Amino acid sequence: MKLYLYCLLEGIAQLDQLPQGISNAPVRLLPIDDLAVLVSDVDKDAVAVTRETALAHAAVVRSVLDRTTPLPFRFGTLVSEEQLRSYLSTRKPALENNLRLVRGCVEMGVKIIWSISNNDPHEQQLSDEKQGAGARFLEEKRREILGDERRSAQATEISGWLHESIGELIRDEHVAVRPSEKLVLTAAHLVERNKIRQYREKIAEARASRPDLHFLMSGPWPPYTFANIELEFKTRFGVS
Amino acid sequence: MIIEDWESTDLSLLETLDHVLNRGLVIAGEVTISVADIDLIYLGLNVMVSSVETAHKVLRKRQTK
Repeated sequence: MKLYLYCLLEGIAQLDQLPQGISNAPVRLLPIDDLAVLVSDVDKDAVAVTRETALAHAAVVRSVLDRTTPLPFRFGTLVSEEQLRSYLSTRKPALENNLRLVRGCVEMGVKIIWSISNNDPHEQQLSDEKQGAGARFLEEKRREILGDERRSAQATEISGWLHESIGELIRDEHVAVRPSEKLVLTAAHLVERNKIRQYREKIAEARASRPDLHFLMSGPWPPYTFANIELEFKTRFGVS
Repeated sequence: MIIEDWESTDLSLLETLDHVLNRGLVIAGEVTISVADIDLIYLGLNVMVSSVETAHKVLRKRQTK
């Protein structure tokens, strides 16, 4: 029998009316020292990725968001109770730092997508001129490189502009500039609960001022993005 | 395109999957997921907005094999 882990909590001694967990397993609160973990007892070695299991995981984590700000575990975390206790014991200072960082906050998400073509008409005109196949190929490559550099510079500029727009309302952020060709950026913002309305208003103002961009907003989320930044680095690179 | 009612959109599912599958606390070596019986093709939002045409090409290639 293993424990399936949903999230780590502080300051919660008892919870009523927890939703069902993955595969309809009951969810219980497991206190460990002054922390607690929401877990299900499961008799499996792996958890299937399905719409139902993923949403069940999210629902359990979200169920406590009204009472506290949890540190979510990643989907599929299966451990013995001994492994969990060892993890919490050895990582306690870093976990407490992360809990302190997210305390009283939620995560808000913003994705910005290019919505108009950035092709330069003068560049396009060049390709219409009569050229040999080799020259056309080189010209095409040149345009690709120049266009890519221009878009990267624009994306960086937009990232700075967004930060200036909402910087005073966020406690922390995680931004990926140009994570793909059509995305300007994806950003996760850690926002104090009493500033969510102001945050949304600022985002709406920013959106209105840039009709050339598409904004996709989401949240509030439990702080998935901010749960593990330092810890993941330590785990991945073996730094203790 | 502005998503106001996030919970009611397909994007909310993609965002949820992105959060639970790609982020969160990790205990080294203890995240084990099964894809053997997967009934959901997960395309992250990044993939979705950039590569719809690529996905179509891949599907067409598979169908012609």
